[in-house]
Amino acid sequence: MIPNRTALGKATDAVVVENLRKSFRVKGGTVEAVRGIDLRVARGEIFGFLGPNGAGKTTTLRMLTTLLPPDGGRALVAGADVAGRPQDVRRRIGYVGQRGGADSAATGRENLVLQARLYGQRKAEASARAAELIDLVQLSEFADRPALTYSGGQRRRLEVALGIVHHPQVLFLDEPTAGLDPQNRANLWDRVRALRATGTTVFLTTHYMEEADALCDRVAIIDHGAIASEGTPRELKQCLGREMVLIKPGPAARPLEDLRRDLAAQRFVEEARIEGETIRLSVGDGGQALPAIVARLQSDGVPLETVSLSAPSLDDVFLRQTGRSLRDAGKGEQS
Amino acid sequence: MKLVTDVWVLMGRKVREALRQPTWVIMNLSLPLVLLAFYAPLLQSLAGAPGFTRGSVLDVFVPGMLVMLAYVNVTAAGYFLLMELDSGVIERLRVTPVSRFALLMGTVLRDVLATIVPALVLVAIAIPFGFHPRWAGAAVLMVLLALLTSATAAASSALALIVRKVESLTAVTNGTLMPLLLLSGLFLPLSLAPQWLRVLAHVNPLYYAVEASRDLAVGTIGSATVGQGFLVMGGLAVLAIAWATRVYRKAAA
Repeated sequence: MIPNRTALGKATDAVVVENLRKSFRVKGGTVEAVRGIDLRVARGEIFGFLGPNGAGKTTTLRMLTTLLPPDGGRALVAGADVAGRPQDVRRRIGYVGQRGGADSAATGRENLVLQARLYGQRKAEASARAAELIDLVQLSEFADRPALTYSGGQRRRLEVALGIVHHPQVLFLDEPTAGLDPQNRANLWDRVRALRATGTTVFLTTHYMEEADALCDRVAIIDHGAIASEGTPRELKQCLGREMVLIKPGPAARPLEDLRRDLAAQRFVEEARIEGETIRLSVGDGGQALPAIVARLQSDGVPLETVSLSAPSLDDVFLRQTGRSLRDAGKGEQS
Repeated sequence: MKLVTDVWVLMGRKVREALRQPTWVIMNLSLPLVLLAFYAPLLQSLAGAPGFTRGSVLDVFVPGMLVMLAYVNVTAAGYFLLMELDSGVIERLRVTPVSRFALLMGTVLRDVLATIVPALVLVAIAIPFGFHPRWAGAAVLMVLLALLTSATAAASSALALIVRKVESLTAVTNGTLMPLLLLSGLFLPLSLAPQWLRVLAHVNPLYYAVEASRDLAVGTIGSATVGQGFLVMGGLAVLAIAWATRVYRKAAA
């Protein structure tokens, strides 16, 4: 009984969420962990859910993966309603939780074979798939050792392999790179990109700005259980406006004020200020503005000492949207 | 059928886990063996006393030990579940399309195996010391033990998922352990007990298991006592499994 009071996304959407909410009873009242969020994730997209600990990321993820029943609203994942058809959702998604969930006492291979069997693969099929994944995530050397002997990076690779045993349409990753060193993090990013290339939709949570920026096609910023803003990393940064182009002319240049007035009249330039020896230009889109500005200055024969572009970071976006910096936001809140 | 395969695969996981730590399975036997060695001899002077009229003293005592084996160790099921909850294994399994019933039964059936195998070892060890089981009765007795183990494992798991804390689970498990054991007539037959104690024993499910177990060991299969034992243990097993399945379904791991 799917009500048609609202259009529930397109068939191409991997995840459609409408007014999803969840609160928890705690001592002394209730905590509204998720306060009516709306989301759409297109098929084949890497979608990042960015926010501090305690923002409601994990709670949302747990509702989308059928681990937690929503209090209100609706969520369609891979075309099935999480509340009404959880079994269909489970067959179509993969999930790698924060705690991973590999069985420590069992070997990597045993873990993978079991997982494949639980998705209905026969013994031979499951063994073949396990071998394939062991190759894919480069665990051949360790495949027959107990998972408890694995390093953090190896373990994470096993856990991701567990999540994709059955070729899920949507893969959910909860803080996939938490606690990983930079090399392992980069390795995992590559793995996620490779998954997208095969058409898998990836929905991940993170509280790392670099991760959202480098990896995700689209990002939603969540804070206090509500979505503060949403878009591509580029759009989010642009809605802060003002990327800055910093120009420091060489010694033989015209007077700064003269140059400033000239540049302020350019297309792309919203504002031009002088700060010491430097002219700071606010531009809408640095990628377009910078070449035009440089070309203009060169054709005028203005010698340049340095030219740089400073883009607002997602950190700035977060600060702007929530009034707090991401680093401080998680403090004193439970995850 | 998918359900049967799932239960089988999940039980295999738990059996492998147990085989990796064989000491754990062997330790299950330690308490019954210690009691057999250092406690059972104290009972020898009671031969022929009320409650010891049938067969040897061990024919009365060993069936009680078997019930203890099927109960005491199995109350740990909840702890193991909490450990797996901590490591995220349960969460991972709950996102697969496996039924919650299969998740539960994989563990429960492993616990049944981990009861029956040591129980058979205990029987074998006790025979040279004067235990005279009847084989048909002993076979039926193993079924009774399986029911008791299932009920205990399922209830312990359900409880663990509800209280979520090792401390709370310990409080419940330890708080009920001795009263249940003492009131079951497991150490000394309750026919030695005053009237009020005997009446009280009738609210203790373990009492029915112990009584039935003693009948079965000496080969009395068709008695009302055995019927009662199966009724109580079977009923509890069904209830506990239904309860635990329900809790598994709702629990947010």
